[in-house]
Amino acid sequence: MTEEKKGLTRKEFLKLAAVGAGVAAGSGLVAATEGLSAKGPVKWVMVIDLDRCIGCKACHVACKAEFDVRLGVFRSSVIDYEYGRYPDARRDFLPWLCNHCDNPPCVKVCPVEPVEAEFKGIKFTKKATYKRPDGPVLVDQQRCIGCGLCIMNCPYKVRFFDPAKKAGGNPAANPASKCDLCVHRLDAGLVPSCVNTCQGRARIVGNLNDLNSEVSKLMRGARVLLPEKGTKPQVYYIGEGAARINDALRKGIDIRIEANSEYQLKVWKNGPYAG
Amino acid sequence: MATREMSRRDILRIGALSALALTTMKLNRAEAKTVQGRMDSLVMGGKDVSPVTKKERKAIPTACWSCVTRCAAMGYVEDGRLMKVESNPNSIRTEGVMCSKGQSAPNEVYFPDRLLYPLKRVGPRGGGKWRRISWDEATDELAKRLKKLRDEGRPEKFFFHYGRMKGSSSKLIKSVFLKKVYGVGSYGNHTSICEGGKWTGQELTWGKHYDNWDMDNTRFVLNFGSNIFETHTNHIPVAHRLIRAMKERGVELVTFDVRLSNTAAKSTEWIPIRPGTDGAVALAMCHVIMKEGLYDREFFKFIKATKNHKASVDEKISSLKKHLSRFTPEWAEKESGVAASKIAALARKFAKTKPACVISYRGAVAHYNGAENERTIQMLAAITGNVDNPGGRCRGVGAKWKYPKPKYHVKARKLKIVDGPKKGPLHAKLPTHHVSQLVLRMIKDGSQGRPEIYLWYCYNPAYVNGENREYAEILKDEKLIPFTVTSNIVYDESSRLADMILPDATYLERWDWEDMVSPAQIPEYYIRQALVKPLGQSRDFADVVCEIANKMGLPMGFNSKEEFVRLSCEHTPKIKDLPGGGFEYMKTHGVWHDPKEKPHYYGYRKEVKEKDLKKKGVIFDEETGVYWNWKKSKAKSEEEAKKKGYRHTKKAYKGYVGQKIGDKVYKGFKPDKINKSGYFELYSDILEEKGFSPMPTYYPIPEHRRKAPDQLVLTTYKVAMHIHSRSTHRKWLAELFHDNPAWINPETASRLGIGDGDRIKVRSEVDEIVTKARVTDNIVPGIIAISYHVGRQESGRYASGRKSPFGRDDDIDLKFKWWNEYGVHPNWVIPNWVDPVSGQQRWMDTVVTVTKA
Repeated sequence: MTEEKKGLTRKEFLKLAAVGAGVAAGSGLVAATEGLSAKGPVKWVMVIDLDRCIGCKACHVACKAEFDVRLGVFRSSVIDYEYGRYPDARRDFLPWLCNHCDNPPCVKVCPVEPVEAEFKGIKFTKKATYKRPDGPVLVDQQRCIGCGLCIMNCPYKVRFFDPAKKAGGNPAANPASKCDLCVHRLDAGLVPSCVNTCQGRARIVGNLNDLNSEVSKLMRGARVLLPEKGTKPQVYYIGEGAARINDALRKGIDIRIEANSEYQLKVWKNGPYAG
Repeated sequence: MATREMSRRDILRIGALSALALTTMKLNRAEAKTVQGRMDSLVMGGKDVSPVTKKERKAIPTACWSCVTRCAAMGYVEDGRLMKVESNPNSIRTEGVMCSKGQSAPNEVYFPDRLLYPLKRVGPRGGGKWRRISWDEATDELAKRLKKLRDEGRPEKFFFHYGRMKGSSSKLIKSVFLKKVYGVGSYGNHTSICEGGKWTGQELTWGKHYDNWDMDNTRFVLNFGSNIFETHTNHIPVAHRLIRAMKERGVELVTFDVRLSNTAAKSTEWIPIRPGTDGAVALAMCHVIMKEGLYDREFFKFIKATKNHKASVDEKISSLKKHLSRFTPEWAEKESGVAASKIAALARKFAKTKPACVISYRGAVAHYNGAENERTIQMLAAITGNVDNPGGRCRGVGAKWKYPKPKYHVKARKLKIVDGPKKGPLHAKLPTHHVSQLVLRMIKDGSQGRPEIYLWYCYNPAYVNGENREYAEILKDEKLIPFTVTSNIVYDESSRLADMILPDATYLERWDWEDMVSPAQIPEYYIRQALVKPLGQSRDFADVVCEIANKMGLPMGFNSKEEFVRLSCEHTPKIKDLPGGGFEYMKTHGVWHDPKEKPHYYGYRKEVKEKDLKKKGVIFDEETGVYWNWKKSKAKSEEEAKKKGYRHTKKAYKGYVGQKIGDKVYKGFKPDKINKSGYFELYSDILEEKGFSPMPTYYPIPEHRRKAPDQLVLTTYKVAMHIHSRSTHRKWLAELFHDNPAWINPETASRLGIGDGDRIKVRSEVDEIVTKARVTDNIVPGIIAISYHVGRQESGRYASGRKSPFGRDDDIDLKFKWWNEYGVHPNWVIPNWVDPVSGQQRWMDTVVTVTKA
């Protein structure tokens, strides 16, 4: 990591980025030039180096602690994906969180009326679910009506009803919730909770609009989850296991699936939108 | 990634160079210092902000205690409530990172089934009925009972048994109160159910135990049964360095394990191996290395490989070659199932990659042959020169605190129940870390006397040993033990068998100084400070000890652990001179290391100063070549010491000064607990005298030899998100892991007619359990693996579904708990058996019959 940091000049990076763009289509590989400008506002993204992830789930628990997340739901976790026959059995780890998409389906389907908003001088429109101009996709639980459309339409299954809270736009329902990239920490100049604890330093956060940032330099060969959905995820995966992330997402096992679904099932059956 | 390929090539190049000039190798972390780094414009840690109020939380440096690693940490507090714990970014051990267990710290304080009041049983022991009592009532009664035993001259009838006690807690409770003030020299520990055999193996070879693995400088790691990426006694400090070494320097990790642990999964290569055969593979590797001349000739100077300590290097090499000649890779393949060609290739790679590090843990040592396996693995490190060198297997380095020692002159008395029986199949001949799994059995036996008061602390004897059914019965029997007390935070399988329960403070509510081994080979001093006030009426047990001592009229010169920590800070060299005073500095920063200190390597090569050989009491022992000070031993006179000699004088090792090699005297490998010479002993006179092979050998596991073809070997394991038996009450961890189906290979399962998810009966010669099967390719055929964290009968609703006495209902998550499976505890069927050398509990040896239930 550090070698790369020192080694790449901006010119080299642009060259790499161009190459990356050429091979990107169809393979989940990312065109790193997308949305790239030398200047401009901050754009927070996360790069996850799968070579460095040892599946310890410290990130998962750190996130639980950071937000005092209720049992049964998770903002971030790690999927274990096992494959291969003995003695060539293998296990991959896939850290899993909101992808903070540039083309977020959750925002598209949110039925709450958009309002004008401003973030650090940049104007944008804001539904209950919205993308902040510096990158994170957020939920305004005060305006959320708890309809669950965003939850159903997230291809990554990273959203859930926040079981102990009331939706501001419909107190009879629970609001949507998910990873917010720890914006409260980013705004205070601090890395997200999962990044802080990650023992392999697998989770790397940074400004993709800064060509010298660590995340920019790690973009080469980066892949995203479910690229065919056209969501333009802003969580990137690198490392040897990156080619298998979509298998891991589809076939991997994680407690979150069990826990989230148990709770969601209850909500769908008995909640305000049941039937 | 491209960088990985690059660095591998680089490493080969550098490797060739450095093999010639190892001593001049630049250490990339010799000047290890603060790592409070940044990630681009962002700060990595050291502060925390509320996601609700956006206000910065109060940050207090402290230390984790989830596991024995005891990482330096930061606690974040909001309105008097502990919100979060992260790593201390200034720690050279953790370098700012933390594991899932550490992150679950707030659960430890606020779990709803926590014990918060002193309790006394009502009705029969184990009946589950309790009444609240005041602290005064509790300490009055204990002080009265303890004083009576002491006044009657039989303090040893008070038996204290701890599961984990380290740093200042250990010094205050054990070294000061029990030993010096109260006068009892026997107490139970738990090392033999952990890794005692590993330590005995080390004491026999290089002296004082604890091997630090220098991941920052190594170029190859060979792993015998350590699950370093999920759990370890120095987990985060070593694990994060290993994954960094793998990623940034292309270091390869090869793991022998019966199971695809996360460590095996993350290894460059996982090599499945039959249980208990690691020693055979290591021996065969040594065979190849010696035969092919790949050994480090220079290190042989410090090795003892013959009976005669004056043997030349050539004589030692030829003796070892001869000894190893029968342990061929082909022989090891038959034992272990690992291909001979693989063993030979790995031996060559290990010997040729400089430096390389061989690591080991319970997969290799929790066996009948545990201590011997560790000795063999030590031999592999030694003959390749990978001992106490940058990048190798190093002798652990930790902080050296000074602490207050009140002046009492009592000769401590002992109850001889800590080392198991003196004869029979459960006799261990060299139990240097005791035989804790047999303490309750010894009490039942009664031939060595029984305690009248049995107090356990941070320990759950009815759950953590084998044969749980029998041990719970012993603990319950008022005729065997008249009075039982525990200090605990959780109402567990043993607390319910206590007569009195003292609610302990959690590690987040108490003070300590700590000293765990530093992977940087530079000692780190750090403290734990209370982040919040103890919940309810809970109190740090060490503070309770201070009060009881006072009530007995035995003042210790301090009245709390906080005071003990303060006095230690004021008396410890270097710490006491820190800016603002030692205690204030440590409270503000939490950690300190000497920035001028160089990493500790090659301590054995130092020569002993002439004046130290001329000190009063120092004599030379011809038989071993050891200079030693007889006055520090149990010898009554110089004449007696000379007559008995170094090896046969009780506690002679305490006077060890140096080892004569040729015409020089070296510090060598200083002994601990046994009268070993200062050589790295591959030839052990001590073992020879006890009737074992003096040279490292392989003892096949007798029960495995005898087992019927359809029987399986049961092995247990830990997972990344639990701490032994100590964390199932933490909801965030229990949510991740609360059930433990038994792993079984598809081939084995089909042979036994077992399908995935089937109920199965697992029967050993001592008991049986019914659990579920998980048919998986992640395990060697012929074995069954069951994790041991779960399968609780108590420990609260998150762990067992059962509410503890006086449990609260104020945790909102009780409403959202979504699991009602709690697993099955494997220890019920595991006999309390011993490694005949060390007394190590044989966790991984049990032969079981598995059938569909």
